[in-house]
Amino acid sequence: MGLRLSGISKRFGDYQALDTVDLEVRTGELLALLGPSGSGKTTLLRIMAGLEQPDTGSLQLHGEEALGLKPRERGVGFVFQHYALFRHMTVLDNVAFGLKVRPRGERLPNAEIRRRVEELLRLVQLAPFADRYPAQLSGGQRQRVALARALAIEPKVLLLDEPFGALDAKVRKELRRWLRGLHDEMHITSVFVTHDQEEALELADRVVVMSQGRIEQVGTPAEVYDNPASTFVYEFLGQVNRLDCVVDGGIAALAGGALRVATGDPVQGPAVAFIRPHDVTLSPDPEGPGNVLGVVTVGPQARIEVGLAGQILEAEMPRDRLAQIGLRLGHRCAVQIERVRAFPRV
Amino acid sequence: MPGEAHASRSTLVEPLWLRAALIVAALAFLGLFLLLPLTVVFVEALKRGVGAYWNALQEPDALSAIKLTLMTAGIAVPLNLLFGVCASWCIAKFDFHGKHLLITLIDLPFSVSPVISGMVYVLLFGLNGLLGPWLREHDVQIIFALPGLVLATIFVTFPFVARELIPLMQEQGTEEEEAAIVLGASGWQTFWRVTLPNIKWGLLYGVLLCNARAMGEFGAVSVVSGHIRGETNTMPLHVEILYNEYNFVAAFAVASVLALLALVTLAAKTVLEWRFGHELAATRRGG
Repeated sequence: MGLRLSGISKRFGDYQALDTVDLEVRTGELLALLGPSGSGKTTLLRIMAGLEQPDTGSLQLHGEEALGLKPRERGVGFVFQHYALFRHMTVLDNVAFGLKVRPRGERLPNAEIRRRVEELLRLVQLAPFADRYPAQLSGGQRQRVALARALAIEPKVLLLDEPFGALDAKVRKELRRWLRGLHDEMHITSVFVTHDQEEALELADRVVVMSQGRIEQVGTPAEVYDNPASTFVYEFLGQVNRLDCVVDGGIAALAGGALRVATGDPVQGPAVAFIRPHDVTLSPDPEGPGNVLGVVTVGPQARIEVGLAGQILEAEMPRDRLAQIGLRLGHRCAVQIERVRAFPRV
Repeated sequence: MPGEAHASRSTLVEPLWLRAALIVAALAFLGLFLLLPLTVVFVEALKRGVGAYWNALQEPDALSAIKLTLMTAGIAVPLNLLFGVCASWCIAKFDFHGKHLLITLIDLPFSVSPVISGMVYVLLFGLNGLLGPWLREHDVQIIFALPGLVLATIFVTFPFVARELIPLMQEQGTEEEEAAIVLGASGWQTFWRVTLPNIKWGLLYGVLLCNARAMGEFGAVSVVSGHIRGETNTMPLHVEILYNEYNFVAAFAVASVLALLALVTLAAKTVLEWRFGHELAATRRGG
């Protein structure tokens, strides 16, 4: 077992940053803490690192109680959102820092430190930049220095705060792929914080979705995307339609009864139906309940806005399929829905 | 486009006559109010020749004043360096109640007249002061002695280091320190290896300003000194005494040494800025 947090709460003044959070991080996994800003994900990460103390709760690191331990006794690597590189040190000295500050008895000989740092710089593909200062590096390079510096102390757990947040889209994608490769190679237990659902779903073994200081759902990317546990998770992960409906005996009646879809949810009465755009199938039908209000064809997928009894439903289908069925603006259409999740109306 | 760049530059540049007028005005102001008085100090000091100048400085009272000034600054400046770093560290890196009060307190010496700060020390430590009887019993003399001079100087020059460091440290934030701590550094190592290198130029600048003021301080020191010639007179006080005795050559000779010390400070600052300007900018800009 890697990390176990139970009953963690933290307040900043009047603001409840974390509210009795329980979480287990498995050894060797890459876990994403996903949520909007203010959801408490960074606070949770900082508590794991020992940079913040929770008001209540306990934290176990590899089976040992760790809340009483200082950050440096926990053996964690931390990569800061803005890297926090030592600006007056070269790349080499930055990466060597964690090895050089060890007590004399545990410190490696200088030559050995140098060898290890150079090895790490090769790993993050920055060997030619060893003598540069952080200000002379690009964002992606600084990020990799920060990672090498965190790895230098051979942490048992690697914690990353918005590791790609400050990078532009192209670099972000490259670095993401590279980090995944690195993790697959080293299998170091890793937790990263992100507000970007695509990043979390693509990169992580498991995703923890957080909102307002609570965990909404924990699961593999496929689990949280396909079976969101709450309306929040539904809306936070990917595009979704919300339509009012009435559920009776496992059948959701949408658009005033014009559409009936089976739902497995234990809801009865007025409810909100959550429908992913790609779970909607449209076909031309002069008698159909739908009315095509808009068509956007950019990229391989076409997005079609359909008016349905006064509400708007967004559907998605491949562009060539749309061309095939010949559905255009102003046409009426039949609507078929593959999957509906109904949640009680609040 | 070179043509465009040229055109846009010329729209930003003032006409020649205006530039010339501004430069002349600035130079005239500097010359009249800074350079001229400074020259007068040296001219007056050397009026009776180098021999008289040299003799005036060899005078035991003058030597003692120079020594006392250097000693006072030598004690007050390192202490203020220490206090300044501590105070700015607290203010910039931690959140606590009463932070604004502390910032206001640091500014107090700037807003209070130095004479009043000197008086306060007399009221506290003087013979009839609050702590006077106790001090006399234990045979400790503060007022009319070196400790009083040092205390008054510390008070007056306290804000220089802290004022220089607080904005710098606030801007730099705490992330680098946190990074150091997670990487295994102790608090002490973090300070010496991360915090101090990041503030060293600002610190040096603050110390230079602090030193210049410490050596030149008149008001507060004047109140606590007692003006005992050869014993508790610092250079600024000694200059005044000599001047009041119409001993102009001696007065200006001592004044010239004081001015020289200020010039050396200024030169040191300029050299630092010139030599380490890019590094200074880098620590401010961040990595």
